[in-house]
Amino acid sequence: MITILAIESSCDETSAAVLRDGKVLNNLIATQSVHERYGGVVPELASRAHQQHIVPVVNQAIQEANISKNEISAVAFTQGPGLLGSLLVGTAFAKAFALGLNVPLIGVNHMKAHILAHFIADTKPNFPFLCLTVSGGHTQIVLVRDYLDMEVIGQTQDDAVGEAFDKTAKMLGLPYPGGQYIDRYAKEGNPLAFGFPDVNTPDLNFSFSGIKTAVLYFLQKNTKENPNFIQENISDICASVQQTLVRILLKKVRKAAERYKIKEIAIAGGVSANSGLRKTLQDMALEKKWNVYVPDFQYCTDNAGMIAITAYYQYLANDFVGQDANPDPRLRIA
Amino acid sequence: MPQTQVLICHSLEELDQIAKKILHICSQEKIWLFEGDLGAGKTTLIKAISRNLGVVEAMSSPTFGLVNEYRSPQATIYHIDCYRLRNVREAVEIGIFDYLDSGNYCFIEWAERIVEIFDPPYWLVQIQTENTEQRTITLSKHE
Repeated sequence: MITILAIESSCDETSAAVLRDGKVLNNLIATQSVHERYGGVVPELASRAHQQHIVPVVNQAIQEANISKNEISAVAFTQGPGLLGSLLVGTAFAKAFALGLNVPLIGVNHMKAHILAHFIADTKPNFPFLCLTVSGGHTQIVLVRDYLDMEVIGQTQDDAVGEAFDKTAKMLGLPYPGGQYIDRYAKEGNPLAFGFPDVNTPDLNFSFSGIKTAVLYFLQKNTKENPNFIQENISDICASVQQTLVRILLKKVRKAAERYKIKEIAIAGGVSANSGLRKTLQDMALEKKWNVYVPDFQYCTDNAGMIAITAYYQYLANDFVGQDANPDPRLRIA
Repeated sequence: MPQTQVLICHSLEELDQIAKKILHICSQEKIWLFEGDLGAGKTTLIKAISRNLGVVEAMSSPTFGLVNEYRSPQATIYHIDCYRLRNVREAVEIGIFDYLDSGNYCFIEWAERIVEIFDPPYWLVQIQTENTEQRTITLSKHE
């Protein structure tokens, strides 16, 4: 029986999960409710606050999984990419925990884990498949040949798509992070009301900073003529921007699918929660006869469940790290 | 009175030359704060400067991740974005002093939110949008 305790602390969230024989038993993210039990408060953004979260979250994950610490076969942690101060907390904790239990350590690549989150659910993609990983910090198309054999075939050359969503929201006066508000307003709007140009980027790569600037100039020009332009047109603006961003993403996915002759298509990362992306992808899948895979929402954003499932496949492949392992903020998919 | 220089960038084609000039003027100090509105081109300018410091890998915005780290044979660069930070305490908690005290280049966007954290000497790089193409870049050294 393989039991893995996994810890994720690459950016804002402190998360712990327990896996047994390839099945993720739970996936806990430090929230106010976890903390209330210990009388603490969760700051919204404070990487070193991972230190305050990590013990309660791990404790609760172990308790809720109903296992004893002695049953743990290995401890997994996010080795990178991420913020050094945040990664250090998870790394140091995992090392100490593994040392105390005398079990091996598994260092997990956060970007691979986003993709392998697809193997938590019952419906799993078949190899080889393509994964579009889209979040606040990343936009990549990855060719996945096997659990641990992946290649980045396209990526953003500037902003991530999640950032384009969030910064558009900011320009519209919506709270940060505002990607979800764009999605909400877009449902009521006409996606063809306003046109924003596609940016031509070479090959399978993306660029989103030009769209951000185009939206900015568009809003400046129109609010000069009509100060209420944003309020009067917010749904149409959101729908049009969203449609543009989704179109750019899927254009490259289509190109990648054709080039590699692959019909298994997955999406991962926080932006895969976007309903416009999901719907357009499903429509395209019908037309192209693709099989499309979208993870459960809890496994789209940063979470330890995806670290646990990745660690499981690393465990089977004997891929461990020693007590001398260090976090690597720049870790890439090889 | 800070030492000040003004550069005009008429179009994107001039950006590489501007980046070289800025490096020539500023590279004695490693901490540079970049100011400019959303869309002014802070990240674009930082990319151009980093390319001139030998960075070849893909560079993306650090807004979500707060700090992106790049290495080249010539330099280690921390590209830091304070957009999501609300106050000095949060900056301290992400370990900002570890980066500032490292002796490596720190290119910092939205530093005005936590400006009291930065001890001179540093360069302030202000980007003013003149029109869709043209930017005025003001360099001032705080000592």
